[in-house]
Amino acid sequence: MSDRVVSPAVARGAVASPPPVLSIRDVQRFYRSGDTTVRALDGVSLDIHRGEVVGISGPSGSGKSTLLLIAGLLEPPSAGEVLIDGRRVSYPAADLDRLRTFRRNHIGFIFQKANLIPFLTAVENVALALEIDHVPPRAARAYAGALLASLDLGHRLDNHPSRLSGGEQQRVAVARALANAPSLLLADEPTAALDSVRGRQVLQLFREIARTRQAAVAVVTHDQRALDLFDRTIELSDGRTRDVAMHGTPGAAGTH
Amino acid sequence: MNLAFKDIRFNLLRFLLTALGVAFLMMSSMGMVGLYRGIVADALLIIERIGADQWVVQGGRQGPFSEGSAISSTLDRRVEGIAGVASARRFVQFSQQFTLHGRQLRASVTGLDFPKDPGRWIPIVRGRLLASGHYEAVADMSIGLRLGEMVHLGQDDYTVIGLTRGMVDTGGDGLLFVTVNDAVAIAQRRTSEEVLLARAGAGPAAASRSSVPQDSKIAAVLVTLNPAVDPEMVRRAASSWGDVNVLSRTEQENLLLNQRLWRLRVQILAFTGVLLVVTCIVVSLIIYMLTMENLHEIAMLKLIGADNSVIIVMIAQQAFLIGASGLGFGLMLSRLVFPFFPRKVLILPGDVALLGIAVAVICAFASLLGISRALKVRAQEVLS
Repeated sequence: MSDRVVSPAVARGAVASPPPVLSIRDVQRFYRSGDTTVRALDGVSLDIHRGEVVGISGPSGSGKSTLLLIAGLLEPPSAGEVLIDGRRVSYPAADLDRLRTFRRNHIGFIFQKANLIPFLTAVENVALALEIDHVPPRAARAYAGALLASLDLGHRLDNHPSRLSGGEQQRVAVARALANAPSLLLADEPTAALDSVRGRQVLQLFREIARTRQAAVAVVTHDQRALDLFDRTIELSDGRTRDVAMHGTPGAAGTH
Repeated sequence: MNLAFKDIRFNLLRFLLTALGVAFLMMSSMGMVGLYRGIVADALLIIERIGADQWVVQGGRQGPFSEGSAISSTLDRRVEGIAGVASARRFVQFSQQFTLHGRQLRASVTGLDFPKDPGRWIPIVRGRLLASGHYEAVADMSIGLRLGEMVHLGQDDYTVIGLTRGMVDTGGDGLLFVTVNDAVAIAQRRTSEEVLLARAGAGPAAASRSSVPQDSKIAAVLVTLNPAVDPEMVRRAASSWGDVNVLSRTEQENLLLNQRLWRLRVQILAFTGVLLVVTCIVVSLIIYMLTMENLHEIAMLKLIGADNSVIIVMIAQQAFLIGASGLGFGLMLSRLVFPFFPRKVLILPGDVALLGIAVAVICAFASLLGISRALKVRAQEVLS
């Protein structure tokens, strides 16, 4: 991953830098199911700083995906608040649809499936994220091409997703997530569809991104083989933080 | 980046098949409107081309197109005597079925008052106009006659010396022009059985009569007025005789369109309306289904922060491209197919423009359906 690729968003000075990048404070999330209330998250707090890669693990139904949705401003918490780059952006009854522009400039998403738009080529999938942010088409395409080249996909720019391997698709998705130089990258099981070697390569790529772009990276994963690539691993159980394991630089770790 | 174009280019076959389906609907709508226009044009053809200012018909009747009319065969001479009349021609028209080389053919025999009217108003595409008072005919190609062919009508043989294209009567039968005298002779043809039956029923006097209700076969006198004359004055003069009725060209057109063809016109227009409603439903369903197919991509667009306008433009552009392509293909298909239809299908630019507006409205409605569904998609549906 090259350090020299500079996003148009960075060039416009759109990225703010006060740590922590993501701050989740005493977040609760309830769902009503008939007469019963399901507590998906029950008082979770979490800080993730610049340059930090944090793993979030736990059994099915522990609240990992809900935590990701709330951190990604896709669902509001039932209680508590979410701060991104020091700005309080999500809280109960927040209108998240109005935060679409904020989400575009501050958060990048990567999923188990690459979720590329099938009728766009690799470079168009990445350029789209920039054009949506009002970057002129030519500049967007040039930057998307450079970004993909930095992820060793320079020879695949004009291929549609159906012509790319799973690993290549995932790297295109990473490039798209990085296009607007977000300060926070959220990944939901990004290695689940990949073999162990390619899965590890993707996580190493996240480490590289965190280091070179000073982004905060949160990765929801079941993959126990890659825990050493995280600075910290937070384990969720029944909507609560059960354990925090430190792997990386102690100074970068946040606390519950 | 134009997402609608990218999607269409990627799924070109799906788009082409969809557009083709819409094109057939458009062609049907255009065909219905064209059929309506064709019927009106056919109905007015003879009235407009023959160039008469007034039609003198049987008294108390509104013939010869709306109802039967039989006038004296010498009425034209009386009409010529009215001040202001430049010319008066006798007119006769009736349907005739005949056999040629074992084929059953049908024509609308139309009499030309030769030599006063040699038929210069008839658009000849091959051959020539009538040059003789007897046994020559100018036939429309739709009848199925060829130049130089001889056809037996009544008691005589007629040679086809000229051909026209698109000259038909209100029923769609091709016109066969002969002289008025020949037309009367053809109309008065009787079989031996008819003569015998007439003799048995009414005695020798009745046997000389025609088997058709009126003795005279002349239906009307076509009047051309001097430019400066008041048409009302001529009408009053002719009406004062008591045995005729005088109709202007406009009245004759109104009678045809608003009385004789009224039900047919309303029927065709109603069916066109039904077709447009069906088109609306089908196009709406197509756009809705296209939107449903793209829901995941729409959720993804929302996730990466696309404004609603990006999604709205994508759906609306696709809807309008499908509509425009359907209209274009439909127009091309119409031009290819309709000339082979037995009756005239007239596609007028104004009707195509109106259909284009209708398609635009339909596409806008269809877009609204798709857009309303797309706007309900939540970004987190990417995860589902």
